[in-house]
Parts: sequence; structure tokens; C-alpha cells
Amino acid sequence: MANNSEYVIEMLHITKEFPGIKANDDITLQLKKGEIHALLGENGAGKSTLMSVLFGLYQPEQGIIKKDGVEVKINNPNDATALHIGMVHQHFKLVDVFTVLDNIILGAEDTKFGFLQKKEARKKVKDLSDRYGLHVDLDAKVEDITVGMQQRTEILKMLYRDNEILIFDEPTAVLTPQEIEELMQIMKNLAKEGKSILFISHKLNEIMEVADRVTVLRRGKYVATVNTKDTNKQELSNMMVGRPVQLQVVKDEAKPTDVVLDIKDMCVYNEVHKKDAVHNVTMQVRKGEIVCIAGIDGNGQTEFIHGLTGLSKITGGTVKICGKDVTKASISGKSENMSHIPEDRHKHGLVLDFTLENNLVLQRFQDPQFQNHGFIKFDSVRKYAEDLIEQFDVRSGQGPITIARSMSGGNQQKAIIARELDRNKALVVAVQPTRGLDVGAIEYIHSQLVKQRDEGKAVLLVSLELEEVMSLSDRILVMYEGEIVAECDPKKVTAQELGLYMAGAKRQDNKDKEVAGA
Amino acid sequence: MSGLKKFFAKDGTKSVVSSLISILIGLVFGAIVVFIVGMSKKTIGVKGAWEGVRLIFFGVLNTGRSATGALTWGFNASNLGNMLFRATPVILTGLSVAVAFKTGLFNIGAPGQYLMGTLTSLAIALSIPSSAMPTWLIWILAFVGAMAAGAIWGAIPGLMKALFNINEVIACIMTNWIAANLVTWFFDGSVFCNVEEYGKTGYIYKTSYNNVATTKLGLDKIFAGSQANAGIIVAILLAVAMYIMMNKTTLGYQLKACGSNRHAARYAGIKDKRNIVLSMAIAGSLAAAGSALYWLAGNTEFFWSTYQSLPATGFNGIPVALLALNNPIGVVFAGIFMAMLNIVGMQLSNLTAYNEYLTDVIIAVIVYMSAFSLVIRMLLNGRRRKEGKK
Repeated sequence: MANNSEYVIEMLHITKEFPGIKANDDITLQLKKGEIHALLGENGAGKSTLMSVLFGLYQPEQGIIKKDGVEVKINNPNDATALHIGMVHQHFKLVDVFTVLDNIILGAEDTKFGFLQKKEARKKVKDLSDRYGLHVDLDAKVEDITVGMQQRTEILKMLYRDNEILIFDEPTAVLTPQEIEELMQIMKNLAKEGKSILFISHKLNEIMEVADRVTVLRRGKYVATVNTKDTNKQELSNMMVGRPVQLQVVKDEAKPTDVVLDIKDMCVYNEVHKKDAVHNVTMQVRKGEIVCIAGIDGNGQTEFIHGLTGLSKITGGTVKICGKDVTKASISGKSENMSHIPEDRHKHGLVLDFTLENNLVLQRFQDPQFQNHGFIKFDSVRKYAEDLIEQFDVRSGQGPITIARSMSGGNQQKAIIARELDRNKALVVAVQPTRGLDVGAIEYIHSQLVKQRDEGKAVLLVSLELEEVMSLSDRILVMYEGEIVAECDPKKVTAQELGLYMAGAKRQDNKDKEVAGA
Repeated sequence: MSGLKKFFAKDGTKSVVSSLISILIGLVFGAIVVFIVGMSKKTIGVKGAWEGVRLIFFGVLNTGRSATGALTWGFNASNLGNMLFRATPVILTGLSVAVAFKTGLFNIGAPGQYLMGTLTSLAIALSIPSSAMPTWLIWILAFVGAMAAGAIWGAIPGLMKALFNINEVIACIMTNWIAANLVTWFFDGSVFCNVEEYGKTGYIYKTSYNNVATTKLGLDKIFAGSQANAGIIVAILLAVAMYIMMNKTTLGYQLKACGSNRHAARYAGIKDKRNIVLSMAIAGSLAAAGSALYWLAGNTEFFWSTYQSLPATGFNGIPVALLALNNPIGVVFAGIFMAMLNIVGMQLSNLTAYNEYLTDVIIAVIVYMSAFSLVIRMLLNGRRRKEGKK
């Protein structure tokens, strides 16, 4: 194929319609050879639709795709692979019980008389990993290696197939700060070696650091393509949301007063792993402060919150909320003074097939306000829902009677937040409240949490996003393997230091003395 | 309020339309089968095939043949009455399955619960001598007792699911067979007064032997020559009660929340385990009520020795519920419709050379299509959305 074009992939004037909605409306994306090109947009802006078109999963109504200046038809993912387009999905597609090497060659195995020829494959993978600095243990099973190494395995998978165009779909969502830095370096190396990279993200810091150019989409429409060196984060987020966005959390100094949540030596036993998922956690949250539990996913945060809110049993220690011992209370007993914005909004937060209004009264349908001798007062439910929707600006197709499933992730989360904050409890537990949301929604949720704090609520936040931890909290507790290993002041601690605590490489004991960890 | 009503109406219309479409497809398919079978059989021919097709659609309104041999049509009181009578138990088993479905449970245990209702209703109706108390009281005791027995039988799989997370389908199938053998064993050893037939005793049970029978409530006048009785009214009342419970009360709200997302319900402080057991108990009592209404009618005869198998009425609840898209009111119509097909089958074999089992083919197609009624509903939804955007 003659390479007389500046661009390796061009998607020109792509329009893709779904019944009732234009997911992509005349979008143009041009990827230069050897560049890192970021694709930025809110949830539902059309990023994934556009990538699915490039991958042959959808056929656009209008528009063409060119590879090296030549028009191509991509009818299915096999066509995309044949054109050397590869993708690292947000959730890795690896076989857990296979070794790294087996995973890399899976689907592209060399065989001789029906037998696998692993020797050559091993050599090729080894070369690739040396060349790009992708360190993996080829003989380790995927289930035993770190998330970062799993991602490197995914990248090697693409390289093994001689892919020239690499798509990274929100690759940093699952990584620690150190791993993110490594990934950025790897991406730069790949670009230097002539690979072209499409980088889907809504994290502005990373885009500014690693990308050469950015294409911004908003509500299915093309906004602009800009060079990262000619722009800044504020401008990008304004373009993405379509209005000026407050990136920094604005808040005054915390003025904590009385203790609301008082936990002593709490343990939660994990039946599957036959050990404590949460071990001897002692902590307090006071009125008027936001305390954040930081840590890498899977270090006991989920179990801790489940124990606290009653979704699992507490196997040791005591929990007091507002001075009342609720260690053994039922879920509704515990929630007497606590509202809970759950980690998994689809599993716990919402009954997806219920209407919005029914979801908004999920804990309160037994209140006399909403029922009379067991008969639901539909009028007051409707009225209440309408008030909340207005007050918290929850947007949906049909207002109170919208089925929750059909709402966007951001608005689902807003609905949960509306419900929980309106219950007006002394303690607000928010678990990853901004996960998967775009800057507009994040801005809103952060301001709501700060408002709760200023109103004298105690806020307990669990977050995996370091940036959120640093900017929102008044006090940081780092959880590692079910224990609180450090307490930090967000104004004094650096992201790097937090990262070390989170990875278990460093820990404080009671006297703030640092000892060598795992 | 008017907005909410409109919403229910809209949702309701969609359900009704999609169910009607699947019924229509089933009937049309059945007509085609009837036609093909007719054409391939010398004894039937074109004329017979055409008669068959008409009977498939309007069999209940057929009044036989005129002197010239042509089919005559009109109000067939006995057919319509029998249709209502046969619909009664299947409406209730359908209701049983539908209520469980709404709460996220698949109650395939309706046959077992039905059998427990059979056992209890017959045992009570035959063991209390009608000289001891008024027969209407015996009837009520038998009916309530059957519902209680069904509730207990339904609660067993519910408890297994709630406490040990055992799939309710497996537990239901187990309890079905336990019920079948329990009933056989029980009647084998019973000493109730029973019908003597062919010199055998202890063989056939009939509640009218003890003067217990469901009141006719004048339905025998309207539908002369049929078995119709007040049972159908009880069934309809129960369906309305279930509709109100599911849609208007906090209990229904809780049950649906647990069924739709057990985790979210638990998160909100709703007692999910209690609700699972309760839901199965309600389902069980409904299936048993259907059985009680059937056997307490007074003109039905129970042959215990054949009851080592599971009653089809229990299983027929599943297609009825599917066809009604689990709407309690829809179940009434779906149940009557299934009973109508049953009557049509008899008409076919009485009046033409067709075999009555042909209607089973039609029922099968409709059951199959009822699974598609969800698809049809989705199509209707998609269409409306598209129109809305234009």
C-alpha cells in the first residue's frame, strides 16, 4: 500500500445513528503516524461508538475510513485486525489460568502438524518486551500477576500481532500512580518506534502529559482537534462540557467538631479467602470533615464499607454512630444516622428496572409520608421525586417515571446522591462517588460533598482516584491489605508518598515512625 | 396522579397488544396446521378443513350442526360455562407463577402446591361430616386449609433459597415429586367416604358425596348445562387482589424490589430473605386455591391412583403467566383463553374428523409465541420511541 498520506488512519465525517439518537454526528478523526492522539469526551459523547466503528462492530450511515490514504471497508473486527488495528480494553480480556505467554499467542498461535510452536513465539515476545521495556514474566499465570503486568501483557498481545494502530480504552483507571507513570513512558516509547496510538480518556492530566493532539467530542458532535501544547486543562474541560468547569475543589479549612463515627478494632472476615479482609481498623470521623480512605482496589475498602453499612457481618470490634453502638444492628438500624452512596450503583444503588421515583423512595417507602396502612401514596411519592429531581438537577427522559436503567451513569449517580443526601443523616458514606463520571458530574458531586461537610455532616469518602483523594479530603487514611497503614494530611503529603503507602512499600506505626514494609 | 395512571395505562396497553399478537399468531399457525392436516386426509377434505379452521377461531360459539350438516353458530351456554369452569384453576396457577415471576422467582412448583391443595381440600371436605356443621363452613375450611397447605409447600423452596441460596427451580421440582408421592400415599391409606365404581371402593373421591360443593351463584342458569360455578368469581377476585397488592401497596413494592434487585433491596434495609419466603408462600397459596376450587366444585372426581404424576394444570400456569406478561389481570384473560382452546379441542373431535390433540399443537405454538410477546413488546416500544422522536 502506498504511503503517501500524512495520516495512518482517517475517519472522515462519520455519522452513526441509533433509533432516536445520533451517537456520532459528522465526526472526523485523523491519526498521524507515530503520534499519540487522545480522544476526549464526557460519558455518552460518542467515544466508544466511534471506536466501535473503527473496529467494525458498527457500520456508519455516512462517512468513510481511510488507512494510509486509501479508503477501506471495515465490516467486522477481523477486518480491523487485518489492518493492524489493536485495542487494549478497559477490562482486560485475558484468560486467568493461562500463562502470560499463552495469553499473548492465544488466537494467533503458530502450529506445525497441529502442535503449538511456542519456542519461536517466546523469542518474538521476548524481543518485543525488551525493545519497548514491557517487563512481564512470561511463565507466570495471569491470575498471579499485578494489574500493571496484565496491562503490559495486553499491550504485548497487540504488538505480537504486528499492530500499527493501538487503541487504549481508559487504560489508567485501574493503575496505581507508579504504574500510570510507567504506562505513560511505554506509550511514549511505542510512539517513538512509529506506532500510532489512540488514547481514550477523560483524565486531563494524563492527556496533557502524554498526548500530542486531542480530539474533543461533545454529545456525539465533533468539537475540535487541538495540539496539547497549545491548550490547557481548563480549556479542554470547557470544550468537553460546553461550559466553564471548576476543576479545583473549592473549600475552606475544615472545622471538625464532635465525633460522629467511632470505629474500634473492626474486623470483617472473608469467607472466601479464610482470613480477615478488614483487620483491626480503628478510626473516627468528626462533624465537619471529609475523611478519605485511599488505597488500591481490593485492599479491604469494599469489605470495610460493607461491614460498616451492614451488608456484611462485622466479626470483631465495635462501631458507634452518634454515640450509639450499632455493631450488631440491622441494615436499617445502622442507616438510622447514616446515608450511604454505594460503590456499585447498579448492584446496590438502584433497582434498575424501577422508575426513578420508586428508586428515590427506596429506603423511605415505609415513612408515613409515603404510605397509608400499607398503601403507597402515589401523589406524595411523585411530588417528592419531582422536588428532588429539581433540587439535584437529575436529568432523564421522562422525569419521575423514567426507568432508572435508561438513564446515563452520571444522572443515575445524581439520583442516588439526591436520595442519600436528602435523608439528611449525620454521617455520609460515599464510596467512589465519581467513578466513571465525566468532569461536569464530578464537579457537581464534589461540591455537594463539600456542602455536606460545611453543613456539619461527617463525610467518609472511599476513593481509588488519587487526585480526588488529594483535592477533596481533609484527612487521608491509607488502607493496605485490610489495615490502615497511614494517616496523612492532604496539604503535606505528596502523591508519590501516598502511592508508596498504597502499594504497601511504606507504613506508619502509631508514633508516625516509618518502617520498611512488604 | 393522572400522569401515573396514564403510565400504567400505557404499559398495560403495550402488554395487552403484544399478548394479543402472540395469540393471533398462534391461532393463525394453528389454522394453517389444521388446514394442511385436513388437506392430507381423505376423510376431511377442503370442506372439513375450512370447518376446522373456523372452529379453531370460534369453536366456543359453535352450537353444533344444522339438519343440512352445516355448522351453526350462536351462544353456546354449555361451552362458555365449561370454559369458565376450566379456566378457574388455570387462572390461579397462572397467578401463582406470575406473582412469583414479578418478584424474580420462577415458581415451577405450582404442580406440587396444586397437589397439596388437592390433598388438603379433599381431606377437609370429606372428613368433616356434613351433619356436624353447615356445608358452606366445611367448604370455607377446606378452601382456607388448602391455601395454607399450598403456602407452606411454596415456602419450603422459598426458605431454601433465602437461607442456603438453593435455586428455587431445583427445590420446586423436588417438592413437586414429594407432593405427588405424598398425595398418593395419603389417599391410599385414607378412609374417607368415596364413590364406588365397578365394585371398587377407596378409589374415586368427590366432595358432593359429603354434600360439599361450590355455590353456583346463578351461573348455572346463565350457562345452562355447564359446570360453571362461583369459583371463577373467586379466581377473579383473587386476581384483582393480587393486582392491588403488587401495584398499590408497600408490600408489593418490597417484593418487586427484592425480585428486581435483591442487593439493592438489602442495601435499602428491606428484609430480602423474608420477602423471598413470603413471595413463594403467596404463590403456593394461589396454586393451591386453584386446586381447591376445582375439587370442591362437587362435580369433579379425583382418581388418586393416577396421581403419581404431576397435574398439567400446575404447569399450564407457566404459559398463562407468560402470555399475560405476569400481569394479574391479564392472567384472568389468558387463563380463560387457555380454557377456550381446551373446549375448541373437544369441539373439533366432536364435530369433525380431527383429533382433539391438534389443539395441543396450537397451545404449544401460543406458548412459544408468548415467550416472543416480550420481543413483540420491545418492538412496540422501539416503534413508539422512533415515532416520538420524529
